[in-house]
Order: sequence, then structure tokens, then C-alpha cells
Amino acid sequence: MKALEQAKHRANGGRSQAAALYDDKNCSVDRRMFWDEEIYQEELDRIFHRCWLFVAHESQIQEPGQFVSTYMGEDNVLVVRQSDRSIRVLVNSCTHRGNRICHAELGTARNFVCNYHGWSFGLDGRLLGMHESEAFENTPNFEFKDFGLSTAARVSTYKGLVFATFDPSAPSLEEYLGDYTWYLDILLDNDDGGTEFLPGTIKSVFRCNWKLPSENSTGDALHAGWTHDSGVRAMLGTGVAPGFGTDSYQININGHGWQCNFDYPLGNAASFGDKRILSYLKERRDVVRRRLGALRVNMLAAVSSAGIFPNFSFLPGQSTFRVWHPRGVDEVEMHSWVLVNKNAPPEVKDAYRKGVMMTFSPSGVFEMDDGENFEFSTRTVRGAEGRRRPIYYGLSRGSKIKHNELPGNVYRGQINDANQRAYFRRWADFMSAETWSEVPDR
Amino acid sequence: MSVVKDNATAACGIVPASVQGEIERFLYLEARLLDEGDYDSWLVLLAPDIHYWMPIIENRMRGDPIGTYGPDRVAYFDDTLDDIKRRVARFQSRTAWAEDPATRHIHVISNIEVEAGEKPDEVVAHSIFINYRNRGERDEDILYGRRRDLIRRRSGSWLLARRRILIAQNVLLAKNINTFL
Amino acid sequence: MTAVTFLTEQATTFLCDADEVAEAGVKCVRLPNRHPIAVFRIRGQFYATDDRCTHAAASLSQGDIDGDVVTCPVHSGAFHIPTGKALCFPVTEDLKTYRVVVKEGKVFAVFADRAVSDGANS
Repeated sequence: MKALEQAKHRANGGRSQAAALYDDKNCSVDRRMFWDEEIYQEELDRIFHRCWLFVAHESQIQEPGQFVSTYMGEDNVLVVRQSDRSIRVLVNSCTHRGNRICHAELGTARNFVCNYHGWSFGLDGRLLGMHESEAFENTPNFEFKDFGLSTAARVSTYKGLVFATFDPSAPSLEEYLGDYTWYLDILLDNDDGGTEFLPGTIKSVFRCNWKLPSENSTGDALHAGWTHDSGVRAMLGTGVAPGFGTDSYQININGHGWQCNFDYPLGNAASFGDKRILSYLKERRDVVRRRLGALRVNMLAAVSSAGIFPNFSFLPGQSTFRVWHPRGVDEVEMHSWVLVNKNAPPEVKDAYRKGVMMTFSPSGVFEMDDGENFEFSTRTVRGAEGRRRPIYYGLSRGSKIKHNELPGNVYRGQINDANQRAYFRRWADFMSAETWSEVPDR
Repeated sequence: MSVVKDNATAACGIVPASVQGEIERFLYLEARLLDEGDYDSWLVLLAPDIHYWMPIIENRMRGDPIGTYGPDRVAYFDDTLDDIKRRVARFQSRTAWAEDPATRHIHVISNIEVEAGEKPDEVVAHSIFINYRNRGERDEDILYGRRRDLIRRRSGSWLLARRRILIAQNVLLAKNINTFL
Repeated sequence: MTAVTFLTEQATTFLCDADEVAEAGVKCVRLPNRHPIAVFRIRGQFYATDDRCTHAAASLSQGDIDGDVVTCPVHSGAFHIPTGKALCFPVTEDLKTYRVVVKEGKVFAVFADRAVSDGANS
């Protein structure tokens, strides 16, 4: 722990000051968590250096030597398929002088060579050699094996989604996800062939704090009918029906969230206005119901949104997956992809590609209205008065119910802040826990 | 850069100065209509079979044969006329909150080179765009790129039939693209 | 006695059995008192070169073979196997090659110089 953090730790009886910024009793969030640079640095350590973070879909690195570059927090990493077909996540920083080694965002390599002194690393991160290697070989106590690249401590895949953590003491990915895997299976396991990402990553910059878009996807059904009215009208010619879904829920497990309604089972997919996708989903309905059950077949493409803590969001139906990479306290770099079933016909895959482009991409008629909300919700913390006023997450308090089939914490009504409360509760858990054993099971 | 099959046909030679002048005026008119937010008039400049394509640009090593962009990948725009009209519908919607107040757009078009197309009534035009946009008090973004157009003459007017836009960015250094380029 | 017979009987060193080297493959042979040798088999022909890259400490037998070119696994320098010629950055010094004789399924090299060991690990 850094000296400052240690001092705070002592002063606060062992809990980070930051954790107190979520007030569960009053369902409010102290906006300091959106502007305080020290808290941001703590987040990089306590959240991004410990949690399981999404790094790639297996389909992006199918063959040995293939790699993609991404971020874990603010660390640039290379996700590399090894010759034994396992996956390693290498920190893209030369162990000699720290320079970034690989400047391509994807490709096929047999080694990674630093441009500065020619230090060469294998696909597994091992130091292979360097320019003027004899001088190093003749240097006392210089051992090649001491200079392999830093790596993620653990890498694990759940049905195509590759996650990694820097923390060797982290629980397994399955434990981290808990029963949330029941929900992930809706999208990842509704077909024998599994899933893939369509080629290409869209990347863009939002000048907002990373937590705002993350919590939005986890549980903000409320904004859809207002923020996205123009998007729905543009795609479908009508606005969003008021009252939304009456048979709807929010579910959260360990800070991961899924909110949906059962009134319009194809609602999200329908926003593309593309018959090919609706036909594909309808044709497969019986197969999916037999595979996943009567409840989950209606969650495949419903009006819904979801997220895995801390910063991995996705929309069932539109099938857009995105990570909000933190870039300082007031900026994110969003990376996004389109997920399809491997066995989907080519014209259906192309329909998803275009549908996401039209709705949830930088040119998309939905996404364009989200950006300004996130940016200005962040920007107004600059003022001494504005930053003093906490923000409210108390919608539909007391709506928790028991549900016989939906695993996790279930809340009646998707017009609700339950998942956001769970999100910030989880944030507070990690900001205060010194070890994983202190992170409660929720 | 590897050769990529794209949506403009091969160029076949120089055009008379008068045609160069007409195409320049066409592209400047298009830019002014976009600056003014006059999308109805802008749509009239598009051919019914338009393909409007702006691929993502990937950071790949020079030696990577796959190339930095391609038609099979996700894209910012990969539009037919119907797709474009949907986008315009949002721009013109009263509830497009992020467009109200309006963004101030300037489209600078430059380096226009016009070549004869494969067909007698078509030309290929290369140009550069700089889209400066300013929103609210001090929010600014500047997008730069190259365009390659197929422009067709019909009944005395020019129509944009194909556009390929290559933006000079990998990460889009903006939260959205709220115009056409 | 012909000159070739004299050479074969007097000055060749056994490297390996021919079938230890796959077609389009390579085998690293460690000999006493000599640098490791890389034995290549390309379109049925055998070639022998130093195993160590002329640029930096690297074993060419760990590299990739494409046609008659071997690429070093550390910095991707390339050599023409039959002649040892250095083909691209960062290799500038040609690779030492040795004449090969194959007799009765066994591969031999002709070392014109005295045996040398560099003492370093390859």
C-alpha cells in the first residue's frame, strides 16, 4: 500500500475513506468519488488491480501467436494465445526501461521486441534476448529469467469471455461471478456453437468518470424512455411506450446486474428494425427454450441492460458489449464489440453488425444521447457547491422480493435503482476491504 | 497500406477543368448544407443506391497483410439511403437532447482531385475533410480524414453514389459523430 | 582413393541420423568441443550451419523455416540456409555453413577448421 493510503488506513481504523462515499442508508452517493484524484488512484489499486476484468473474447485470438491489446485499469496488456492454446496476459511494458513494447492493437506475432534496446520477449513473456546480448551475458548476476514480462496473475475463460486479474489471491472467476453465470448463459450458451465477436473494436472517448456509464448499464432502465426517445423514433417511427414493463425485474449478484422486462421479449432486438434478426430469434425460440428454459428464452433479447462489476457492460438483444477503461478521474476510453452466435447465418451476423452500428456506436442514434448525460454529470462536480450535493439512488427502495426461479437478489420492477445501489455497495466493499476475505458475498 | 476492395470504382484519367469546378462546387455545397444542418437539402444530393462507408481504422503493423481497414469489420457508417434517413430522422427530432442547443459544425473540404470514372457519367473525387465542431460553451472536437467518392451525373445534377471515409484516427477522439463527413 | 573418399574418411563428423530431421525441419546437434550445429532438411537436401544467430544469443533451431530461409526467434533476422547469407535487419553477418555428406542414412559435416567451443550456453 502507498504511504498515503497507509496513513488514511490508520486514521480510519482500517477502512478507506472512500468507502464511506456510498451511503446505503440514504441511498446516496457523495460526488467526491467523481472528482477526487486520490480516490481514483485508490480505485486503480483496490478495484482494477484486484477484480476480474474482461480482456477479450476467445474468438479474437484463435490461433497460437494471435494477440489483442487492451487495458486492465490503466495498464496496457497483451492477451496472447500460446502455442499450447492457453491464454496469457502480458503487461505491455519492457522490463528493462519500461517502454511499451507492442504498438499494434492486434495481429499475429512470434515474439515482441522493444524498439528501444531490442529486448525480445516470447509469446509467453519470457525474455529471449536483446541487442548486444553478449554484454548482458557477461554482466554479473544478470539472469534472463528475472526479466520476463509482468503478467496477470490469473486468466480464466467463461464460455468464450476471457477475464484476468492481477491479484493471485482472488477467488476463481466462477466464484467472482457467482450465480450471475445463470444470466450470462442466456447470451453465451443459447446455441451449441457458442459465440464470437465480429471483427473489429470500436473505441471512443467520453469525458466522464468511469463509474457513471458502468452503473447506468447495470440498472438504469429509467433513462431509456427519456434519453433515447429520439433514437427509438428514428429506428422504429414511434416513441418508447410509457410505463415500460409491468412484468419486469432488477437482479444483482456480487455487484453484477441484469435488469429486464418480460412484456416485450424481443424489445431490444426490435430496436434494430431488422426483420432478419427477429426471424432468427423467432425461429430459434423452441430450441432455446428447451436449452435454457421458459424464463431465459424471454430474456435473450428483451428490453434490458446488464453489467459485470466493475466496468464491463452489455445489452442483451442489441448484443453490444463494452468496457469503460478509466483514463483519469474524468475520462473513459470505451472499447466495444458485437457478439453473435458462431452458427448464425452470415446475413444475420451482418444484420447485428449494422444494427449495433446504427444504435450503439459513436454514430448510433441511441449512444449519441448517452454521452452528454455522462459527461455533464461528471463535469458539474467541478463547482464547490455542486460537488457538495450527493446524488440520489433511492428509486424503488423496498422492492426486494423472493423469486422461485431467478437466482440472486431480485427486485420487482426494472424502473428501479436497486442494481445501482448494489453496484456502489460493491464499490464500497472493494474500497474498504484489505483482503478478499473481507469482501462479503452478496 | 494494402489494397482493399472498396466501394468506389477505379479512376481512369483527368477531367476537363469545368468538371473539376462543378465537382468542387458540389462538395462545397454539401459541406455548407451540413454546416447549416439542412439535412433535407443534403439528402437530395444522394443517389438512391448510395453506399456510405466509414470503416474503423486498426493499428496493425505495416507488415500485417490483413490491412488497417476492411468491409467485413464493424464500422462507424456502412449505410444505405434508408440508414442515412434514420440518422437524419434523429437529427431532426425534437427529443434529440444532445443536439439541442445545436452543435456548431464547420466542414472544411480541401485537396479536391477529380478523375474520370469507369462510366462516362461518373467521376471519382478525392478530398480531405476537417470537421470542427463546437458545442455548448467550450466543447470542441476536430476530426480529420480522407474521402473517396463516386459522383454520378443524372439529369443535369450531380449525385453522391459512393463514399469511403478514412478517418485519421484509431481511437475516435470524441464521444460521437453527430454529423456526416 | 578419391579426394572425396579421403575427405569422408578423414575429416567428417557425425551429426545425426537422417530421419531425425523432418522435411522442412531442423535439429540442433551439440558436439563436444564445438558450437552447436543446426541441421536443416529442405526438399530432401541436408544443410548444416552454426546454430547460434550471428546477431545475438539465439538458437536458430528454435526459429521458423519458410522455404530455404530460417528466421531467428529472438529478433526475426533471416538467413538463407544453403549459403548462410544474412537477409534482413538486424542480421548483417552471414551465418557459417558447413559442407554436408549423407552416407547410409547418416548425416556428416565437414569441418575444415579445428574444433572450437565457445563455452557459452546457446
